[in-house]
Amino acid sequence: MNTTTDDAPSDLRYAEYVLGVLDADARAAVEREVIASDAVALTVALWQRRLLPLVDEIAASEPPAYVWERIRDQLGLAAVPARTPPAVVRPGLWENLRFWHWLALGASAVAVACLVLLMLPSRSVAPLPSAAYLASAITQDNGQVGWTATMDLAQGHMVVVPAKPHAIATGRAPELWLIPPGGRPIAVGMIATGAPTTLTLDRSLLARLGPAAVLAVSLEPPGGSPTGQPTGPVIAKGAIGASPPASGKPVALWHVSPAARDHV
Amino acid sequence: MSNPPNGEALSRLLVQVAKGDEHAFAELYRCASAHLFGVCLRMLRDRGEAEEVLQDAWTTAWRRAASFDASKASAITWLVALTRNKAIDRLRQRRERPMDDPSMLDFLVDPEPTPAADAQASQDYQRLHACLEQLEPRQRRSVREAFFSGATYNDLAVRCQVPLGTMKSWIRRSLMQLRTCLDA
Repeated sequence: MNTTTDDAPSDLRYAEYVLGVLDADARAAVEREVIASDAVALTVALWQRRLLPLVDEIAASEPPAYVWERIRDQLGLAAVPARTPPAVVRPGLWENLRFWHWLALGASAVAVACLVLLMLPSRSVAPLPSAAYLASAITQDNGQVGWTATMDLAQGHMVVVPAKPHAIATGRAPELWLIPPGGRPIAVGMIATGAPTTLTLDRSLLARLGPAAVLAVSLEPPGGSPTGQPTGPVIAKGAIGASPPASGKPVALWHVSPAARDHV
Repeated sequence: MSNPPNGEALSRLLVQVAKGDEHAFAELYRCASAHLFGVCLRMLRDRGEAEEVLQDAWTTAWRRAASFDASKASAITWLVALTRNKAIDRLRQRRERPMDDPSMLDFLVDPEPTPAADAQASQDYQRLHACLEQLEPRQRRSVREAFFSGATYNDLAVRCQVPLGTMKSWIRRSLMQLRTCLDA
């Protein structure tokens, strides 16, 4: 306690900077000093060494896989092949993320294949409900697939896997809607941007799934739209297609998962 | 729970990154991004913003890797400092937003410390923890709140309902006490 007054106030400023209590102007001033003076840079580094170990208390959290893709895109780096990470690097989680990423890519491919099939004249009039699975690439304004949805009609559920969703604004959450032809949107459920979401499809939803219906994602308050209808902007939408007819189920999707699961 | 690679391995990777080694960069990201994302989430309390800040931090890390000096800091300290600075800058930009949502406050809740990432960090952490324990409880809580929330003196004073001058003197006294304790 008796060290309070006899310390150089300047050192204190660097400690305050590292702790994070300075306002924007004072921070900027310290940052300029760090660049201009090696002595200041060293003082700041010493304070970082003293205080930053406190982050050990913060639980680690795997970022979504698309963050890495954005970093790579932004820096214009080549697609670094997904090397098998060394055993020390949280193999479970990492493989898990890769698994979901590949699952998403697989599902996108299936959805695209479905849409192509739907455009063929003979397909576009074929009744869909006989298919065991339906799929949709829910696409954003920029043309990128935000999520892919696979609907298992027999089990009555839908798995929504994020592909490359945009960052969602603070206090907003994505909600998935089914829009039947000429009808009002029906809430399907809230979906995640960083992990797959499984949603239950009740009978009335199942009855409305079909090639003329559309899936859409709107931005809502975190608990979902308070009105039962979309209240925020629609950020992505996708047509609903049948899964490839030859196998009756999405081949690429389910082909990927067992192999990937072995790594988990 | 598995451990990330040790500090030396990370420093070697970061030195490679400074030479433009993209594989080393990918490896470093794999090893440290969960740690850094945890920091972003904790400070920003918003997934979207945390993702943006994480992205910003890593692109900056790639561009500034040459300024990493292994004699001054460990790679993880360098990365954490860079990430925290980005997070604090972001917090300062959202100044106009209300910050006194009670659900956001940690002040009364001391979270359970999670196990330290590696042996070296653990040692540093334990020293720091022991020194923090010597602070007067209200001052310790102020320092912790400041560290984890990235809040300014003003915001801290409001949150803790004490005059600004009191908050400043609590934290300054604590910092000087910590320095004396840690450098002993």
